Amino acid sequence: MTADHETYSLQKEVLDLEVRLQNAKARLGQVSTPHSEPEPPLPSDIPFITTSHALLLLSDSALPLGSFAYSSGLESYVAHNKPLPLTTTPVASFHRFLRLSLASMGSLSLPYVLAAYRDPTDLETLDNDLDASTPCPVAQRASIAQGRALLGVWERAFRSTYAPRSGDYVVTDPREQSGIKAVADFSEALKCSMDDVLGAKGHFAPLWGAVCLAMGLDARQTAYVFMINHAKAVLSAAVRASVMGPYQAQSVLASKDLQDMITERIDRDWHTSVEDAGQVVPPLDLWVGRHELLYSRIFNS
Amino acid sequence: MPVRSPFESSIAKPGQGKVVLSLLPPANPSLSTLTYKYPLKLLTRTPGFVPQSASPSASQPVHLYLLTYGGGLLPGDQIDVSITLEPRTRLVVTTPQGSTKIFKTETSPGRTLSDQSRQTLDVRIGQEAALCYLPDPSAPFKDSRYEQIQTFTVDNIAKGSCRSSLCVLDWVTQGRSSRGENWDFNLWKGKNEIWLLDEPTSSENNEKKEKKKLLLRDSLILNDETSASPQAGNNPPRSLIRERTSPHGVIGTLILYGPVFEKLSSFFVEKFTSLPRIGARNWSSSAPAAAEAPQNYDSRVTFTAAHVRAGCVLVKFGAADFETAKDWLGGILREEGSIAREFGEEALLCL
Repeated sequence: MTADHETYSLQKEVLDLEVRLQNAKARLGQVSTPHSEPEPPLPSDIPFITTSHALLLLSDSALPLGSFAYSSGLESYVAHNKPLPLTTTPVASFHRFLRLSLASMGSLSLPYVLAAYRDPTDLETLDNDLDASTPCPVAQRASIAQGRALLGVWERAFRSTYAPRSGDYVVTDPREQSGIKAVADFSEALKCSMDDVLGAKGHFAPLWGAVCLAMGLDARQTAYVFMINHAKAVLSAAVRASVMGPYQAQSVLASKDLQDMITERIDRDWHTSVEDAGQVVPPLDLWVGRHELLYSRIFNS
Repeated sequence: MPVRSPFESSIAKPGQGKVVLSLLPPANPSLSTLTYKYPLKLLTRTPGFVPQSASPSASQPVHLYLLTYGGGLLPGDQIDVSITLEPRTRLVVTTPQGSTKIFKTETSPGRTLSDQSRQTLDVRIGQEAALCYLPDPSAPFKDSRYEQIQTFTVDNIAKGSCRSSLCVLDWVTQGRSSRGENWDFNLWKGKNEIWLLDEPTSSENNEKKEKKKLLLRDSLILNDETSASPQAGNNPPRSLIRERTSPHGVIGTLILYGPVFEKLSSFFVEKFTSLPRIGARNWSSSAPAAAEAPQNYDSRVTFTAAHVRAGCVLVKFGAADFETAKDWLGGILREEGSIAREFGEEALLCL
């Protein structure tokens, strides 16, 4: 009993002393000259700033790709699982969808992102093969619309900075140059094949890889931003479809679980070749394909 | 130098099979090559069915039965079948032994990838030729590992009604549901590809020079993702595949391409687009609050059907159990009637 009391009083004294120390320090800071503790020097790591800048641009949810118009099957999933069993809450059901959607994105699209990043010379074949692997028109439309939007953003906005035709800044990195050339060649092929049913389409995943390469991101960042942008789009759709509130969506987006899940998916499919890319969640194809059957829709997929 | 036996089989490896179907004048289908080796067995039959087809070039279909000893595949078994359909021929491929059973792979510490069973099918389809491949589903048992790759190469020079045709069904079930198995296998990978070939199919040996373009790739990977983890001690959750396939007990894909299956393709797409809208309500006040759709196969099978590329129609379906899916698919194919007209009722043996 006395021992407990003694510990308590000692703890109280320690706390009291700490508060007094902080107060004294604060008063010392006010009376002393501001130059007594110099600020750390401004970092001048230019390459780091350049890639971070590109990274921030590409991960911005205001990047005009129109991603907000697609729920990637969430809307259809909710409609197909209605009414929910009493044991399942809407949020739990959403978490299942997010897990499935990220797994499917990793196994089906991520190999194309990485293949285009690693070797952008054959963007047209990658585009054709991804078109051949996309099983339904709904998903095809969504991917093509976002891919072409990305191409538009690159050509109209980013290219003048990251691949200037004239000026002091010249792209010297051969990898970046190959990315820039690949996107330009692909854009040309796209214009020539507007009426060819089997011509270039402009799917999102391979173009994302090539544009990220052209803007100097590393492979890991390219993959991570691709996955987190997908998660953001699904979560944003969930908010608008009244599955959860905006704070809850942000907390899911910030959560360690989501980070781990994205990292796990990237690690798993890091070496998957495009020939081995495939659907791991077969019902997702059904939900996305049956989006057309919904009586009322607020999204395009 | 040892003298080679003239009777030695041209097929060296076990599990390999080769079929070449040609058309002798005026219109007699004939198998110019038919070889196979244990554990694979190929049987053929020409039932003498004359297609009641509108197309004047239709020849009599030949039936090919794919058999394996014991009716299934053991770990390490490799089946490798190559089929060539020369122009204007017709081939029906079925599996008369029921579902292809994929047996359990032993989980020993020194397990290698070769322990999984594997099946490849490589079909080349010439101009105006048609393949009808409606097998039983694949039934992977608990703890099994399996991979199948089916490649169909069609002639891209022919246009319009001279194109090759193909109808391919690929489906997989949850396993032995009677024993409580519910997607309990380790790995099932299935890949179906259609390639467009820009050179005549007869040029066989210079494969490198051929110009090919991928028309369709349908790839399904059901992996419980346990084999990659090095720590074998802790038991990882075994429900990953079940979560990803839920609520279905059977998953399948039907691929239709070419002039012979044009009507059937439109029939499927029509059936899909005329499905009742999901979440539709009858707003008139006199009607009951929720209009219940009648219970039929269309409501018990979740499916999509759509034109994907260059006239290819992809039908994907999921159902609670094998019987439901089988009755639904067989029902549609019989109702539409193209398959029975062009290939005979026997082509629907597995349905």
